[in-house]
Amino acid sequence: METNTQNPPSIYKQTLLAGLWRENPTFRLLLGMCPTLAVTAAVKPALTMGLAVVFVLLCSNIVVSMMRNLLKPHLRILMFTLTIATFVTIVDLFLKAYLPKMSETLGPYVPLIIVNCIIIGRAEACASKNPILISIIDALSMGAGFTISLCVLASIREILSTGAIWEINILPKTFVPWAAMRMPVGAFITLGLLLALVNVITAKSKSLQTQKNSK
Amino acid sequence: MDTLTTLLLTFISIVLINNLVFTKFLGICPYLGVSGRIDMAFGMGLAVTFVVTLAGTLTFLLDHLILIPMNLEVTRYVCYILVIAGAVQLVEMYLKKFFPALYDSFGIFLPLITTNCAILGLCLFINLWGIDNLLEAVVLSFGAGIGFTIAICIMAGIRENLDLADVPKPLKGAPITLITAGLLTLAFMGFAGMIR
Amino acid sequence: MSKIKFFIQQSWLLLVCSLFFGLLLAGANAVWTPRIEQNKIDKLNKLMSSLIPAAKNFQLAGTLTINSAKGKPIPTDLYKALAEDGDCIGYCFNTAGPGFTDKIELVLAVDKNFKKIAGFNVLSSNETPGFGDRIKQPYYRNQFAGAPAGPLDLEKTGDPKKIDSEIVAITGATISSEAVVDIVNNALPQLKKQMKQKGLIEDGN
Repeated sequence: METNTQNPPSIYKQTLLAGLWRENPTFRLLLGMCPTLAVTAAVKPALTMGLAVVFVLLCSNIVVSMMRNLLKPHLRILMFTLTIATFVTIVDLFLKAYLPKMSETLGPYVPLIIVNCIIIGRAEACASKNPILISIIDALSMGAGFTISLCVLASIREILSTGAIWEINILPKTFVPWAAMRMPVGAFITLGLLLALVNVITAKSKSLQTQKNSK
Repeated sequence: MDTLTTLLLTFISIVLINNLVFTKFLGICPYLGVSGRIDMAFGMGLAVTFVVTLAGTLTFLLDHLILIPMNLEVTRYVCYILVIAGAVQLVEMYLKKFFPALYDSFGIFLPLITTNCAILGLCLFINLWGIDNLLEAVVLSFGAGIGFTIAICIMAGIRENLDLADVPKPLKGAPITLITAGLLTLAFMGFAGMIR
Repeated sequence: MSKIKFFIQQSWLLLVCSLFFGLLLAGANAVWTPRIEQNKIDKLNKLMSSLIPAAKNFQLAGTLTINSAKGKPIPTDLYKALAEDGDCIGYCFNTAGPGFTDKIELVLAVDKNFKKIAGFNVLSSNETPGFGDRIKQPYYRNQFAGAPAGPLDLEKTGDPKKIDSEIVAITGATISSEAVVDIVNNALPQLKKQMKQKGLIEDGN
């Protein structure tokens, strides 16, 4: 994803799909773990956090890509941090103004987007080296991958801890909710098991690939 | 004497009861990455303690002396992260000049600490909890660092033993670490309600 | 002179960006702050209306200071609940105290003579989900509606439907239940005294 050596349509498609599975920030790159565990008690906060991260990623990638030729090497990280902090403040103010309940549920984890390794990582690895269009696609793809993984984790935790998804009851009333899923224990263990599942799927697809190649 | 008791209780509460790693999910990235061996874990813990105490104090002073009186609260997050980045840079330069051996043993941990959620998280929590007393802020910051060190050393000890155990292939690495962390969280829940 | 030139050459981008971002932040702040303040007021109003449904308006009557059980002063806003014709039909105030895991913040409502508690709502709490968290649910909260505004006792067994000064604890959440009762017992006498001093309620109550 560093330089454009292939024909244009292919690099765009590759960038778009990368964030969704092959380089999914949560399940493959293991970045941004803190909000993943903290806000995934229910699907609503998880989706809100995911969309907030997409917005910040998009804006910061665009700005960094615009500045990429003017950056002095030793002030690089400072510039990235400043940009990200500004956009996170804007998102925080927006949430406080239009979604006050969500803002309260998410609490201090919204400003913690500033130190989310995904955003600084993408700014460093992609936006500071590539033109605007690729940076935008990369931001959208990584953001989408992050949001999807948050929502998957959140749905499992919400269904098991309250029998509902998005506060709509799905499981019958006879289901005894697993309160542990709402607590930190449930977060860690569910994420660990999901990561193991991803490892299994990756290993299987790799072995299928080598079987195909050896034929 | 009363202040001393309050400070002691505050310290115990943030080390055991409201431990940043186990109850507030802060500092997970280095927690998963660096807890391979006890000596590395202890080094990381000490570095974090040093930086977080400094950062907590500085951001508290910044908040109360400059941001609130001048109504600049909207720039809070930007200022906090810049102070933290600056503090880490200063600590790095100071160590390099005066304690080179210590600097070498910290290795690459020091620059990594800037993006450690625990530091920014603690500064934000001090703000959220409405702490208005400098001494309490310092004790909380120091306690947070000690709590992180305890958490990461326990994890390192367990992981060293896990290396010798027969972990199933898909679970090797991050998954088993996360499950272990979950069980540790459950264990630390036993401390809840210790202080009334 | 060349030092300044070098400085500017290295950092002009930083300065320009800081200016731009500063303006962006100031703009966003100016546009959205009124809405944020309104949200805070709305939230408090909604909680207070659910406790005293007959009230049409809540007026800030003053800010008092209550001491917590440990002697730490908590600033408390006292609101008058006004009916449609402007008559005062009750009072609401916020208070806080230590719970099982963290601090519990409550909004308490009493009737206009400070004789009965109209109820309480939880502003913020961090209790164990499924156990201490149930202080927010009707089983526990309804026991306070209509209870006398005097010292309340926490009992482990009893009839929760009977409204008197006995509050039945939630099974498995004794400490959280006790915490709420302690907060109420701590706040009410101090508030009563201060309100009498200010002449807001008559003596002899």
